[in-house]
Amino acid sequence: MSYIKLDQNKCKSCYLCIDVCPHKLLKKSSHIGSTGELTVEFSDTENKCIGCAQCAIVCPEIAIVEVNR
Amino acid sequence: MQVYSIPKSIKKDSKFTFCKGCDHGVAIKIIAEIIDELNLKENTIAISSSGCSVLLYNFLDVDCLEAPHGRACAVATGVKRAHRAKGQDKFVFTYQGDGDFASIGLGESMHSALRGENITAICINNTNYGMTGGQMGPTSTMGQLTTTSPLGRNKEYHGFPIKTAEQIALCEGTQFSARVALYDVKNILKAKKIIKKAFECQLKGGGFSFVEILSSCPTNWKLSPQDSHKKIEEELTKIYPLEIFKDTTND
Repeated sequence: MSYIKLDQNKCKSCYLCIDVCPHKLLKKSSHIGSTGELTVEFSDTENKCIGCAQCAIVCPEIAIVEVNR
Repeated sequence: MQVYSIPKSIKKDSKFTFCKGCDHGVAIKIIAEIIDELNLKENTIAISSSGCSVLLYNFLDVDCLEAPHGRACAVATGVKRAHRAKGQDKFVFTYQGDGDFASIGLGESMHSALRGENITAICINNTNYGMTGGQMGPTSTMGQLTTTSPLGRNKEYHGFPIKTAEQIALCEGTQFSARVALYDVKNILKAKKIIKKAFECQLKGGGFSFVEILSSCPTNWKLSPQDSHKKIEEELTKIYPLEIFKDTTND
């Protein structure tokens, strides 16, 4: 079961990770971040995450701190 | 099994202070990963320059020096030679922007390459002076609108942009010169491989190694992070091709 850990305090709402996730598991949360926009959250209710780490590779803020496969 | 974690060479609890979507974060992250992989943390001295790239020392957990504007390669030369005279072989790299490397510091940069200094230079090319508000830089493309070229860069008044990686490849002391981009996962992984190769060039001791990184500047380009990456992919890579221009490591 793969999962990621996301630090919402670091997220600057660029949404680059949302575009690369192959299963669209990342989406806007209801939490307002440092740039005044909604941060990203990870929700994987059906265990679809494959741990490809593409979100962590493109994140310019190292807000995705861990990827586990 | 953990397949990804924050590189050990990034300072604990550091939060990047770049604008949202800026590729500086990705560039620093992959440099930190390479320093971890090559086990260079204790033996590295990084030289940062003026501009957005100066912030490197806030995030990278290695010894850092800040050079005056444009003089990073000259400072790196001094650091490398002084340590060599003491019998220590330090790994020295510079982290500069395009305005710093190719405009204000072109003399220092070019002559470091011509001397074949055994250092590595990383140049972040975002086609403007990002930190001071998006003025026209040496790499601004023809027709690009900036705060100091409000009608677009034109050849009659401003002249042509410099293609840094190609120019550095022409210097005889250069061992490795390449251009990479960071607009998608594939290119980020490729960039990491090429920067690692440039670092290994210095470890083998063959001469000057140089990597130019095409980077986005969403704030000054007045585009979203996604559109900035699209602009790099569709426009900038046509003007600044992604290639290895010189590699004499196997000669």
